Amino acid sequence: MAAADPTSGAIRRPLAGRRLRLGDVSLQALAGAAAAAATFLVVLIAYKIVRGADPALARYGLDFVARASWDPVKNVYGAGSFLFGTAITSLFALAIAAPLALAIALFLTELAPRVLRGPVTALVETLAAIPSVVIGLWGILVLGPILHDHVQPALHGALGFIPLFGAPSGTGAGIFTAIVVLTIMILPIVSSISRELFLGVPAELKEGALALGATRWEMVRGVVFPYARGGIAAAMILGVGRAVGEAIAVTQVIGGGVFVHWNLFSTGDTLASKIASSYIGAQNDIQIASLVYLALILLVFSLLMNVGAQWIVRRVARRQGVGLNRGGLG
Amino acid sequence: MPKLARWTTTTRTAAAVAAALLAAAAAAAASPAAQRGSTITGAGSTFVAPLVAQWIPAVASAYGYELQYSAIGSGGGISAVTNRTVDFGASDAPLSRDQFAACKGCLQIPWALSATAIFYNLPGVTKLLHMDGPTLAKIFMGRITKWNDPAIRRLNRHVALPSTAIAVAHRSDNSGTTYNLTDYLSSVSPAWRSRYGKGVAVNWPVGTGGQGSRGVAAIVTQTTGAIGYADVAYAKSNHLRFFAIKNRLGRYTTPGLRGIRAAALSDVKPARGTNELSIVNPPKKYTVAYPISTYTYVVVPRQSGKAAALKKLIFWAVTKGQAYGPKLLFAPLPKSVLVVDEKAIAKIHS
Repeated sequence: MAAADPTSGAIRRPLAGRRLRLGDVSLQALAGAAAAAATFLVVLIAYKIVRGADPALARYGLDFVARASWDPVKNVYGAGSFLFGTAITSLFALAIAAPLALAIALFLTELAPRVLRGPVTALVETLAAIPSVVIGLWGILVLGPILHDHVQPALHGALGFIPLFGAPSGTGAGIFTAIVVLTIMILPIVSSISRELFLGVPAELKEGALALGATRWEMVRGVVFPYARGGIAAAMILGVGRAVGEAIAVTQVIGGGVFVHWNLFSTGDTLASKIASSYIGAQNDIQIASLVYLALILLVFSLLMNVGAQWIVRRVARRQGVGLNRGGLG
Repeated sequence: MPKLARWTTTTRTAAAVAAALLAAAAAAAASPAAQRGSTITGAGSTFVAPLVAQWIPAVASAYGYELQYSAIGSGGGISAVTNRTVDFGASDAPLSRDQFAACKGCLQIPWALSATAIFYNLPGVTKLLHMDGPTLAKIFMGRITKWNDPAIRRLNRHVALPSTAIAVAHRSDNSGTTYNLTDYLSSVSPAWRSRYGKGVAVNWPVGTGGQGSRGVAAIVTQTTGAIGYADVAYAKSNHLRFFAIKNRLGRYTTPGLRGIRAAALSDVKPARGTNELSIVNPPKKYTVAYPISTYTYVVVPRQSGKAAALKKLIFWAVTKGQAYGPKLLFAPLPKSVLVVDEKAIAKIHS
């Protein structure tokens, strides 16, 4: 606000007139109303979710969060296995996507020949524009069978002693397929934000490092990464947030099931995929309330992520004394 | 200043265009309302969808009604009619007590009759494979994991079965077909009944979930050794191979019209109030019965703005409409069910 006032005053003075002032007032009213509506909407959604989950909250309390069971016939519900599924899919997706995304961003800002930068950037960002249902379909029709026939047996054969690479599942669907699909979905987010961050690194710092005799890699490690650190962390959290909330594509490829185990090749469910697959036509009130309870957990989780990301960005910005507002979260 | 003037003109033009668009949209939205009486919307069961698709042109020529049906799954159909976003819902699973309460005065009317096929993907095996209830339950429980398991071999002595792993595929959404299958598994296997029970969704111990019949069929066709299930019309039209299932008498029956009709005779008295019927695993005296057969229901609000049209439509469906069934492996409704249906239809009012 402190920055906005003098600017608007500067515009108002030379063009003083009744119509324009009316415009200002209506602009302020409209913008204010939009902001208020968004806030109101968030509060309303939170209220409705808490109210919808109330029967399950009253019946199960906090035990619900950790209990790994979901039996619609016997009416025993818990979020444990879905929380596990959500954590394992999104964290593994991030672990694969983050280094790839940073490499892409580095390539596009520091290493690629100039002619390539524009087209490759556009292509990577197109990846973000593919609707998740399309990626999901591709996952079930193309990616799943390939992973099932070639990748899973190979990984199991070579690294089968690690519990993560257990016996391949019967079909192409499973946690592993979901991880790959999520990786593809968060890759463009993390890479395009990182690219922006790297572009924002002052040229004099980079040139200075090079002038001191640093190699390219030393320059990247010593100047680019530290400068963009906070923003990269925020980009990753944004990516995880996307992975955690993704419902459609995951529902299509994860295969379902109430399991807590480390075998990535087996099937499972996430919070979002369980809500998506079971909400329509739920059999009774306590089941609906339990599904809304899952939504509540998801909401709290996303909120924590967002707050965490903002906190990291602020902390780094304060320490470096630079407005690193490029993280996309502000 | 000229700049500002031009800006204003542009804005005005834009506003005028927007207003025109809005008016056009409003007109488009209003036009179906004008002929409201003649459009009937329904949603639900994928199982009954091919039959309803046949009914649409017939109803249009008989009464001039425009029937619109979305095959979104039984669960979705129940939700839709509960929220009154459609005029009727269609479900293969009978409504639960909570669903009846939520639906506020809904009627459930059996209006079609067919069966669930258990299909598989086993290249190289061309003979019709046999299956019985207890073995099927063990497969879906994950206790039998290979095609050459002694239990399956005993049922198929004349076939050389490979050692391929069995991959179970099931519905991930709430499905009436799942209800039919788990109703059957519960009736043939005490272990299944006590652990997993019957429902539109159960706590599957093994297998991969697919969205809709299409999702299950996709998994099965892509995976060697997979087993899945869907309504027989779907399985047939997609050229999926399915089992002959052993009935109580010990006969192996396929989900054909004869088997379905025989099974239907085992329960001809719809339950009071709910009109529920269960015809899975019928007794021995129904010698040719296919044991995984099911009625499927139309769910309508007792009080409806389109009561007259709905009454005509449903009455037509349970009488003349049945003639469209056999081609799609829907057996005609028995007379006693028809009598109950007529009474239920009479309760719909505006």
